Amino acid sequence: MKIRLNGNEIEVGGGKTLLDICRENGISVPTLCHHASLAPQARCRVCLVEMDGKLVTSCSTKPREGASIITNNEHVMKARRLNMELMVPQPSCRREDDLEVCGIYEEVGMKGARFANIKEYKPDLGAAVIRDNNKCINCGRCVQVCGEIQGVHAIDFASRAHNEHVTPYFEKNLASVACIRCGQCILNCPVGAISERSHIDEVLSALADKDRHVVAQVAPSIRAALGELFGMPTGTLVTGKTVSALRRCGFARVFDVDLGADITIMEEASELLRRLENDGVLPMITTCCPGWILMMEFFYHDLIGNMSTCRSPHEMLGMLIKTYYAKKAGIDPKKITVVSIMPCTAKKFESTRPELGSGVDFVLTTRELGRLVKMKKIDFASLPDEEFDPALGISTGAGVIFGATGGVMEAALRTAHFLATGKELGRLEMAEIRGMDGIKEGKIVLNGKEIRFACAHGGANMRKLVERKDDYHFIEMMACPGGCIGGGGQPIYRDPDTLRKRTEALYFADRASKLRRSHENPVVKQIYKEMLGKPLSEKAEELLHTHYVKRDRF
Amino acid sequence: MRQTKMEALEKARSMGPEAVLELLGRKGLEGRGGAAFPTAKKWRASRDAPSDERFVVCNADEGEPGTFKDKFILRHNAETVVEGLLLAAYVVGAKRCFIYLRGEYDYLRPRLQEQADSVLARAGMDGVTIEIVRGAGAYICGEATALLQSIQGFRGNAMQKPPNPTTCGLWGRPTVINNVETLACAAQAVLFDDWDANLRLFSISGNVKNPGVYEFPLGVKMSTIMDVARPARRLKAMSFGCFGGIMPVDEGMAITPEAICMEKCHHGAYSIILMDETVNVVDISYSIAKFYCYESCGKCTPCREGTVRMLNLLKKVREGRGTKKDLQTLQELAAHIQETSLCGLGQTCGNHVLTSIEHFPGDYEYYLKKGKK
Repeated sequence: MKIRLNGNEIEVGGGKTLLDICRENGISVPTLCHHASLAPQARCRVCLVEMDGKLVTSCSTKPREGASIITNNEHVMKARRLNMELMVPQPSCRREDDLEVCGIYEEVGMKGARFANIKEYKPDLGAAVIRDNNKCINCGRCVQVCGEIQGVHAIDFASRAHNEHVTPYFEKNLASVACIRCGQCILNCPVGAISERSHIDEVLSALADKDRHVVAQVAPSIRAALGELFGMPTGTLVTGKTVSALRRCGFARVFDVDLGADITIMEEASELLRRLENDGVLPMITTCCPGWILMMEFFYHDLIGNMSTCRSPHEMLGMLIKTYYAKKAGIDPKKITVVSIMPCTAKKFESTRPELGSGVDFVLTTRELGRLVKMKKIDFASLPDEEFDPALGISTGAGVIFGATGGVMEAALRTAHFLATGKELGRLEMAEIRGMDGIKEGKIVLNGKEIRFACAHGGANMRKLVERKDDYHFIEMMACPGGCIGGGGQPIYRDPDTLRKRTEALYFADRASKLRRSHENPVVKQIYKEMLGKPLSEKAEELLHTHYVKRDRF
Repeated sequence: MRQTKMEALEKARSMGPEAVLELLGRKGLEGRGGAAFPTAKKWRASRDAPSDERFVVCNADEGEPGTFKDKFILRHNAETVVEGLLLAAYVVGAKRCFIYLRGEYDYLRPRLQEQADSVLARAGMDGVTIEIVRGAGAYICGEATALLQSIQGFRGNAMQKPPNPTTCGLWGRPTVINNVETLACAAQAVLFDDWDANLRLFSISGNVKNPGVYEFPLGVKMSTIMDVARPARRLKAMSFGCFGGIMPVDEGMAITPEAICMEKCHHGAYSIILMDETVNVVDISYSIAKFYCYESCGKCTPCREGTVRMLNLLKKVREGRGTKKDLQTLQELAAHIQETSLCGLGQTCGNHVLTSIEHFPGDYEYYLKKGKK
């Protein structure tokens, strides 16, 4: 059909909203409540455009044949501006915030405050995710994402009119409801009303303490995302710069969590083989993702027996730092502070689990590390590339792909095949479990037996896969869309192609690795030889494995 | 409000759905909830929408301040309403019928349930059910999309249209929603040859000695209404519920949608709140603003954030702290909320401000001057 867009006649396909049409034609329209992959809510009313003289929300309106659309006259701009004024009576944007809403202030030409601020809420302070409803503009994206993409439904709207606010159910705190701490709400908050519970202050005081030996360990997916915070193109690998930035922040050692991932693989692959051989509980489900563990404990605790007992990679490495490394380096473990740099807010909660002991002291998200680097006035982009510290710093490509959905599965199968048959798996890259499909599956033959496996990313997909779990022997669960590269602690992104680009960077790092199988890592071999013996040994069980609990939702 | 005693349904079934639609269209039955949409057109759209299942809903969530005609009908002629509901179900081909009853009318429910059961038993329609759903006290749930959300167990939020409930309502299926009076009228229009499309139930209240529900034809003179309602003093203003706006009383005026529209007001369900000379219209506007500030569902920005700002400005004016600029801001806000809100509540919630400032500038002047003394 034909329409007129700002006076120009254009041909448009059916079924498209005015917002899609505007953006396809290079016309910017501000949005706040719009989420590219969810149904339009038409709540915020800042995407207004004029259709045949009447104001309509472009996110939810499809054009009529011959309609005339105006996106930029004073009528439109004034209405957008007034709705922004009503939502954010006192706009303020500090430069370091880089909030989505700041760009919209400029776009609509916000002026000084005309209306008084009327919000008086107590902040909701959890161990992982914190919320400040005084900043909230009720766009509802957190509610939509928590419910529809993550399948968690921990938060929703309560009360009416100007008292309407987002809250966990029964007006409880996030910390006392069935929230899986995935932090996807943070990524979708345009005003910074939801954020991680920051550990920056604690880390700074540890770094300032001359008696403490502060060690950083860096998760695989940080290197594919941290550069975005410093204006580098999405998908830039910044492994070396991350290491040198951490050294300049004052960390005594910088280790690669990939090594923890390699050890996780040794343990997890062995556990899978043991279950297969001894008629153990199947399917076995991976436990690298603390968001999934919380979902299991809240909603599916009948699956506790299916869960691998392996700790997550950074918890494993944390324990090894405080035992193996401490002994090698001759440092009192009590004087070591382990700081994990994670793409994840749920890891903050995980580090407080009593059953895991004191392997990890603090967790910084990718965003917090970015903030720390900026606080220290380090010019990230011009840093030299440095190597991880060697004692625990050699890792494989298998460890690095942990950051992408399907990666744990792929790495585990590479090693399981070798451990079970003594031969390497013929192919290294498993296309069937790569990519952004919500649930992916495949099969391999192991000693004549067919092993079926599947992986899910995003909470709602995990719930779907739980329903079909009995079709498989081995399942990987990742709570965040895309896996850890899309984690709730990662840089906030607006381009929907971001996850794909970050994932490609990780697969590039895998291909570029000399070692691509966890069981080939010489440090792994050395640690087993010198301390752990073999996978699933008594010592390994003590340091590297854990158990789970049933949690009440109410 | 004559009773139809099952004869309307019987007649409809002998005529067939098409003939009923044609008859209602010819007789000119319009919705009585306020929007005056042609009933036959609504039913036909629902009947023609492809679906495996359809629903009909009686909207008995009468929440507009000053409106009480549906309560009157439910107390005195509920069986005709239920018959109209079944008639609608028959015409569109629905099995599940709902009556969404205002929370505050819960005391009517036991008797209504008995009457619904009784009519249903006598109707002998296979597999048809009627469920009474009690509202929980939210004004917004009288709005069709919010009402459907509430029936489905969701938060009573208004939803963006399209899709219209008529073709995509409860559980994504075609759903007819009609007001109590509309359904009663549908039964009457089918049965009685002398049924008059021009008659309306008026809810009259305010500074009068005889408030109540009256039946008048459209075009009735204001003086006729005053004769029966009997104001004690000279009347100054009238408000059409909360949403319709406030206009001066003119005894010679004939009450028609067009005449009311001329004064920038909306007739709605013909609930007229009459005010005499002792009233300052700003006070009324303030009360109405308070109402909206409590009853907005909170979903869309202009209504959620704008209603409270309108209230605060009116409060300021009433306290004698207002300025001419505040009145301009009030007008700007009211017009903006109406223009950019999602549903009918937001799109009408500024009427009282706009019309009162236009028709009664003296009342605002009184408060502006009061502050300067």
